[in-house]
Formats: sequence, C-alpha cells, structure tokens
Amino acid sequence: MAAGGDGGGDEVGAAARREAGGTLVICYGNALRSDDGLGWHAAARLTQDPRLQGAQVLWQHQLTPELAVDVSNASLVVLVDASDGDEAGAISVRRLDPTPAAGSAWSHHLGPAELIALARELWNASPPVFVVSVGAANLEVGDRLSPAVEQALPGLVDAVVAIVAAHGQPGKSA
Amino acid sequence: MRRTIVIDPVTRIEGHSKITIQLDDRGEVVDAHFHVTQFRGFERITQGRPVHEMPALMSRICGICPVSHLIASAKAVDDILAVEPPPTGADLRRIINLGQIVQSNALSFFHLSAPDLLFGFDADPAKRNIIGLARENPQLARDGIALRKWGQQIIEWLGGKRIHPTWIVPGGVAQPLTAEIRDRILAGVPEAIAAVERAIAWYKSDMLRWEEEASTFGNFRSAFMGLVDRDGNVDHYDGWLRVIDADGKYLADRVDPHTFNDYIGEAVEPSSYLKSTYWKAMGYPDGIYRVGPLARVNVAERMGTPRADEELDRFRGRVGRVAASSFHYHYARLIDTLHCIEKIEALLRGPDILSTHVRSRAEVNRNEGIGVSEAPRGTLMHHYKVDDDGIVLWANLIIATGHNNMAMNRAVLQVARHYVKGDKLEEPMLNRVEAVIRCYDPCLSCSTHALGQMALRIQLLGPDGAVLDDLAR
Repeated sequence: MAAGGDGGGDEVGAAARREAGGTLVICYGNALRSDDGLGWHAAARLTQDPRLQGAQVLWQHQLTPELAVDVSNASLVVLVDASDGDEAGAISVRRLDPTPAAGSAWSHHLGPAELIALARELWNASPPVFVVSVGAANLEVGDRLSPAVEQALPGLVDAVVAIVAAHGQPGKSA
Repeated sequence: MRRTIVIDPVTRIEGHSKITIQLDDRGEVVDAHFHVTQFRGFERITQGRPVHEMPALMSRICGICPVSHLIASAKAVDDILAVEPPPTGADLRRIINLGQIVQSNALSFFHLSAPDLLFGFDADPAKRNIIGLARENPQLARDGIALRKWGQQIIEWLGGKRIHPTWIVPGGVAQPLTAEIRDRILAGVPEAIAAVERAIAWYKSDMLRWEEEASTFGNFRSAFMGLVDRDGNVDHYDGWLRVIDADGKYLADRVDPHTFNDYIGEAVEPSSYLKSTYWKAMGYPDGIYRVGPLARVNVAERMGTPRADEELDRFRGRVGRVAASSFHYHYARLIDTLHCIEKIEALLRGPDILSTHVRSRAEVNRNEGIGVSEAPRGTLMHHYKVDDDGIVLWANLIIATGHNNMAMNRAVLQVARHYVKGDKLEEPMLNRVEAVIRCYDPCLSCSTHALGQMALRIQLLGPDGAVLDDLAR
C-alpha cells in the first residue's frame, strides 16, 4: 500500500499515475485544530488496513489544485474530512456532484467539487468521487480528537472499505 | 458630508483583511485604507523556547511559504551560534528556497491573478476563477499546476515533506543531497522553463489590454528594496541590501542585512494588525518603499541567468529601467520564476552539490541574531535575542507584506479614486480594488501571524462614518 502525507502526496501521485486506474483516498484537515485533524488520524489507519491493499492514501492540510493531477489518474476517489454542523461522531457518506458552486471565492485551496471539476476540465477525467465525513465536536487549537470522533474512526475505515468494495478494487480499474 | 466604502473581506489573497474607502460631500474618494484584521503573535509565542527550536516553530507561521521562514529563522540562529553553513549546505538551502518561490509565484500568478487577466476585471465573477481558467485556457491552467507541483516536489524531496519540512537546521541542512534526488529535480527543469515561458508569452501578448490598469494600479514613485549579490544581481538567499529611489539612484547599497534596524523603522496604525515599515532617512510616512518580485528586478543590475536576463531586457524595454506601476508585479513575478528555475539547475549542476559536509555545529555564542532572505513576496527579516543558555527572550519579524503595507494603502487609494464613483459598490470596481492588493500577493497569515484564510470585505462610508454600502465574500 502506498501512502503519503503532508507532501507525500506527490510521490504517491507519481505512483498512482504509473498504475493508473487505482483507488485514491485523500484525507485532509488541520492536524492542529483537534477534530479537523480527523483526516490525519484516519490516514494512519487506512494505510495499515489490509482490505485497502494497493490504494493510494494521501494526507493533506487542504485540497489544492495540483491534486487534480492525481484525481485524473484514479478510477475511484474517496475524500475524508471532518464536518462542521453534523452530529458529533456521526459518519456520513455522499457521492459528489462535480459541479462547482458558481462564483465561489477561492484563495489557495479548493473545495471537493472544484477539485473534481478541475480534473474533468483539464484532463477529461470523471472518476466517481465519494466524501466520507465525521461530525466534529471540537475545532479549537489542539492535536487530539474528541472522544466522539475518536470512537468513529473504526466505522469511518469500514465506510471507506465498503465504498472501495462496491466501486472498484484498490489498485485496479473499477 | 464624508462617506466611506468598506471591502470586507478581500478575496484571493492569504489571510483576512478589509478595505475602507472614504468619500467626501460630492461623492469623491478622499482616502482609502487596507486593514488587516487577523492576529496571531508568533513573536510572543516563541519567548521562553530554546533557540534551536526556532526554525521549526517559525515555519508554522505559514502553510504557503514555510520554507521562507525556515530559511530566515535558520540564518538568525546561525548568527546566534556564530556559525557558517558549509558551502554545500548553503547551496542546498538556496535550492529549497528557490523551489518555494517557484511554487508560491505560480500560485499567485496562475491561480489567483490569471483569471482577472484572462477574462478581464469586468467579467462575470462566476467564471473569473480557476475553473473558468481551466475551461478557457487549459494549457495555462495546466502550466500553473505543473509549476506549482514541481516547486512543491523540490521542497518535499529535499525536505522530506512539502509543508513544514524540518530539513533546514541551524548550521546548514540535516541531510546531504543524493544523486537520485538531484537527477529527479533536474528532469523537471525543461518542462518548468517551457511552462513559465509560455505564460510570459501569453501575458505579453495581452499586455496592452491593461494599459489603463497599469497606469492606475499602484503607479507611483517610491523606493524599492531587495537583496543583491556581489555583482549587484538578484540574490534570494544572501548578499547585501540595496535600496533605490524611483529614479534608480541608490539610497543605500551593500548594506549588511544585520544592520537593517539602522535603516528601517516600524510604525503601528490603530486600524490594522499589520505594521508599516519605512525607510528611516525619509521618515514616516514618507519613507515608503516596495519589496518583492518587482523590487527585485528594479534594484538588481541583472537576474544573473541567461533566459531571465533576456526577458529582463524585454521588460525594461517595455516599462523602463525602474518600473513604477504595481501592475508590473505580474510580469516581474514571471521573470523571477524563470530565474529561480535556471538558478536551481545551475546549483544542482555544481561540482560539490553531493558533498556530505552540509552542516556546521556550534553552541550559543551570541545573545542576538538576525537572518534576512528573499521570500516570494519580498525581503524577510527575523531578529532574535536569547539568554546565555539560548532561551529566546525576544523576537521580531519583518515580513514582506509589512514592507509593502504603505504601498498597498497608497495603491488602494489610487485605484479607488480612479474607479469608485458614487455611493454604490459595483462588482468591477470592487474587483479592481482587490486586484491591486493581489499584485503584491500579500500573505496576511505571515505578516500578522494569524490563523485562517484570506477573505476581504469592502465598506463604503459616508462623511459622517455611516456605512453606505458593504460587500463581502
């Protein structure tokens, strides 16, 4: 299983292109903002899970335009993030509509829809994209997850595994 | 009756800010201010920490340009240790700093400013963004992504990770370069050069379209400051400070960066967390100067690499020896990027670049240290004081956006006077006021050390202070 974090993504992205058609899991968030660091904690588990053998797992502070290259080379994309507003610890799975919000303000990072739209516009790539999120309880400064989010981690991993099982093999074409 | 417009938040820059535009009784713009409304305070946070921790701590100021803070901080700690990095260690620091500038310049030009330049400042904001750019000019969008990715790969391959690497340490770097990494970086040079040269050609082909903006976007006489090497060419890592006036005459040259406090003062305005620096000899607020890519190409004799020097000649042929308009930051940023790529290649082809002697070691030998380098947005200064055990007692940072603060305020006023009419904010005038700020590519997270991302708000205030209009994104 290939993995990359906080910049390991490019290395893994190159690997993903070499074995085009695999599953790409992008976990993102601010590891110093308590539950917003969910993606980093999740990535540590996902890279160790034998059921995801062959998947490319990246962890990032945020979604950036260059990730569109990696998305364009994947046959299935799963985004893992904390959500603000959902019940604390609640896991949700949704399939992404690749239409970006019109006129969305943007500084240096993208939303999931913009990232997928960029891959489609630049490389004509439209892999199925799922967002797996967990409701955050605490987004204040800190490097630990709240108990509710910590307890949700095994279920989050199972949700990612279920998506991969239903929509493609980790390292093969869907 | 005086009235005021406020733009809050400003978009497509790094951090939180707002702009206020004051109108008089006749609805004419009489004043305008750029306010930074976020605060973090790294100078205070780091007090009491061991000085060896400073580079790693200071890199956390910013997720966009952590390497710049690593470089300046490590140099300040070198000064406290009274140690010189081995030549190869210094060259490796140079390479990672240049990679940082490539990726940050690419972000600024291709992702933040190119949508305005492609579609025009009056275009529908729904398409004037990176997705619209990808649809309308996919090659330009792909080139921006490729350049940014290559710059980040350099940081990651050398530093171990793309954001907040810890490879840059007091005394040099933690690990030597391997032949494999050198060759991997070199393999990307031709495409990086091709990408930036395509962007330069595209920009120049459309440059005449922006004559009005070039004449009104921060087009004023000011001083410029940047680091130069012994030949007077651009130096992004070391060298001497040079300051020129609007006519190109030296206000100061071959200034040891360690003495910057003798030349630069800092002023605080109550309306902003961003300090204003000024050239002491001219006083505050007359001592206005600019830093960053435009300043670098203005103060230097040459860039010092072949392709960038050819483009510099074309640049000067078009806009003069000292470019006054802040709109030309865009063109200068592309030349700066081209130079960085060429310089990276030259350094990697150096005979000693694979030397394993990359770090010098020492204990605390001084109680004060200063580190100065060129960050993507301009000259970056870290200044620390420590006790005899190396515990940080005091720290002060002067960030490029602080150097440019007075210039940004003046630019906002100039644009507002030209484009803002009446007591109602229209999107095109809002976008132009924002766009002149984007020319400087300010990083407010750096300059005030705040959490969060950039957003801008504009308020239009009447003579009595009442809010006449308020636009926020």
